[in-house]
Amino acid sequence: MFSRLIIDAAYALQTSKSYQSRKQFFKNLLDNNKYKYKKYVDIFMMTLIFFSVAVLIREVKYPLHDYLFYFNSYVISIIFFIEYILRFWIHSSMSAIIVNRAEHDSLLSREVRLMRAFKKIARVKASYIFSLTAIIDLLAVLPFFHELRLLRLFILFRVFKLFRYANSFQTLTSVLATKKFEFFTLAIFASIVIFVSSVLIYVMEANNPSSPVNTLFDAVYWSIVTISTVGYGDVTPITSEGRAVAMIVIIAGIAVLAFTTSLVVSAFTEKLDEIREVKTIEDITKIKHLYLVCGYENVAKDVVAKLIKRYNSVIILDEDEGRVEEAKKDGFTALNYDPGQVESYKKLRINMQTQVKGVLCLRESDVANVYSALTIRSLHKDVPILSLLIEESNRKKLQYAGIDTIVYPQELIGLITKELVGKPVAFEVVHELRSEDSNVHIRELAVTQRIIDNFSTVGELGNKKFRIVLLGISKKDTGHFYFNPLDETFIENGDFLLVIGNKHFIKEFELYLHKKVKNA
Amino acid sequence: MPNNSALIFGYNNYTKEIVKNVKNEYSSVTIYSLDEKDMENEEYNIEHFDLSEDWDNIEQSVDIDNSIAFCILEDTAENIFLVISLRSTYKDLTIIAVASHKENANKLLMAGANKVIPLVETTADIITNMLESPISNQVLHDILYEKSDLKIAQIKIGKESHIKDEEIVNIDWSHYNGIIVLSVMHKDMSSEFIYSSKAKRHVIEEDDVLVVVGFEEDIKAFENKIGSKRYVNWSHWSW
Repeated sequence: MFSRLIIDAAYALQTSKSYQSRKQFFKNLLDNNKYKYKKYVDIFMMTLIFFSVAVLIREVKYPLHDYLFYFNSYVISIIFFIEYILRFWIHSSMSAIIVNRAEHDSLLSREVRLMRAFKKIARVKASYIFSLTAIIDLLAVLPFFHELRLLRLFILFRVFKLFRYANSFQTLTSVLATKKFEFFTLAIFASIVIFVSSVLIYVMEANNPSSPVNTLFDAVYWSIVTISTVGYGDVTPITSEGRAVAMIVIIAGIAVLAFTTSLVVSAFTEKLDEIREVKTIEDITKIKHLYLVCGYENVAKDVVAKLIKRYNSVIILDEDEGRVEEAKKDGFTALNYDPGQVESYKKLRINMQTQVKGVLCLRESDVANVYSALTIRSLHKDVPILSLLIEESNRKKLQYAGIDTIVYPQELIGLITKELVGKPVAFEVVHELRSEDSNVHIRELAVTQRIIDNFSTVGELGNKKFRIVLLGISKKDTGHFYFNPLDETFIENGDFLLVIGNKHFIKEFELYLHKKVKNA
Repeated sequence: MPNNSALIFGYNNYTKEIVKNVKNEYSSVTIYSLDEKDMENEEYNIEHFDLSEDWDNIEQSVDIDNSIAFCILEDTAENIFLVISLRSTYKDLTIIAVASHKENANKLLMAGANKVIPLVETTADIITNMLESPISNQVLHDILYEKSDLKIAQIKIGKESHIKDEEIVNIDWSHYNGIIVLSVMHKDMSSEFIYSSKAKRHVIEEDDVLVVVGFEEDIKAFENKIGSKRYVNWSHWSW
């Protein structure tokens, strides 16, 4: 009966949408770096920590106001305790463990062994409770018991909590963790040197009444100060034997310092690329809309430069390290990932549906472009893909790979030559209109409800006053382009006005269109 | 049409596309290749040439002064050498060349080409416009390459034109229904957008060229109204 009740409750929690969404919300808030509100929680917690430490420092010499004291001891402690409990809750799912056990046992047609589930829950939750970060979290709550003066010093544990909220701290520890064995060896070496030198200096100096080394603690203090090459000079050996020991400790100290420095430097050097990559990926996940460029060769270089010039975010993927380096030197975001591998996109952690405006396969090889396009298509069926076509005979293969737009440079050259020989002046004019460097531009102005509220027909727009040519209107429903529309033509929300003119005049015209003329 | 023969130097992927697009514009299209093996190709009329100064063979078969040359050799150095060679021999020949990059395009212009198409930059421009301004890109593409009924035309102001000697600012273009005048090219070859400050006060003179967009019928009506005709003269093109 009791076990039935527990299993039912576990199933109820597992299938409850509101419970799961709440749990996911707190999981995101506390643990998911990609979640946009997490940074606010982090900042809030860090502020509390710094406030706590500031109170502790002030308290040393000045009396505290009661409200400050209670805020520091109770309010902050309670907030930290709530955080501790929430982390305990989201760390693992008890209901999931019980449901899994129940399903496992019923599959084997036997009585549900709830005890095993409880043991697993205890094991999993204990792994959280005894983790270093959880212990620090718990100790940071202890100043709540402020009557015990010693416990108030546990406020300093709140500082350790900063590791949780600042990513750079986590990076630092992860880098140093790669040299765990070397640091352990160094610690053993330093401990032996400190132990031996402390004993030696104690033996040599302690019996001399004029020596400052009187206790073993003095000897250990002197050894650590000397080996670290700090050398305060408050405790110094005065006997010749003691000085001989000092010389050995000084030399050992230089070795320890050099070893430590080289360890830290080598750990960072080895991990530098990885750290940069992690940082780049983190930055990429924060970009709202981006173009993904597969391959960084001739055309890609120019396309990326032009897209960046128009304030777009562009991410370059290329399996060739040399080309990636070149892209980085050119000032672009590039990753040495193979665009033909699904793994690359998993590492990138980008959302193809919402983040990617388009994928550009710009390798100068149809094989590579088809490979990249197929990989992307396997991940998302709707993301727009544009690709270069190098050999006309491969056009069908590119279409079959799911590429939406194919650009065949040879075909472009053919069309351009035709136009060049037929209408050279017109060609130059159109070329100028398309060029970013010219003063006269062609622009697409989206018609919004705000514009419709003020201007309902083409005649009302008054583009001629702004010395702007209205080439036509592209209708939102049909996509049909109406060239040189009559003044009586109605404009609708969602239409696009194609205007030609000086870029400054176009800007002014656009601002004018958005002004609330009628309501003003 | 002032040029009656098209001479294409180089046999590669570009050749087919150029032939496809210009064959109706010229009475003859001849392809010249540096590789003698290409002459075995049955699809096209391919002749062999080398980079020496000896153009006698070509001169015998075509009227070179009334021709247009497309220099599309894949090797940039050879292409530049070809352009220099042609220009040094034929001062008035119209030469259009294809270059991989802008840097090479500048060299080809210095070598004497009338117009150079930088492949990488042109392709990149088209791709960027496709992505960033899809509607205007499509409209301009359709107008330029005549994929829709809309056309772009160059109209040269003749002696008898009604708008000759008039200031652009004083002309009511809306009077000419159905067409949009985009720009005016002056006799000195500088082209100005019709509403630009410079063009505004410009007095239309004989031999100025107007670039207009419109449907065929409307362009014809415009030609009749202003008393001018469509016009192409490659001899003007000397950058």
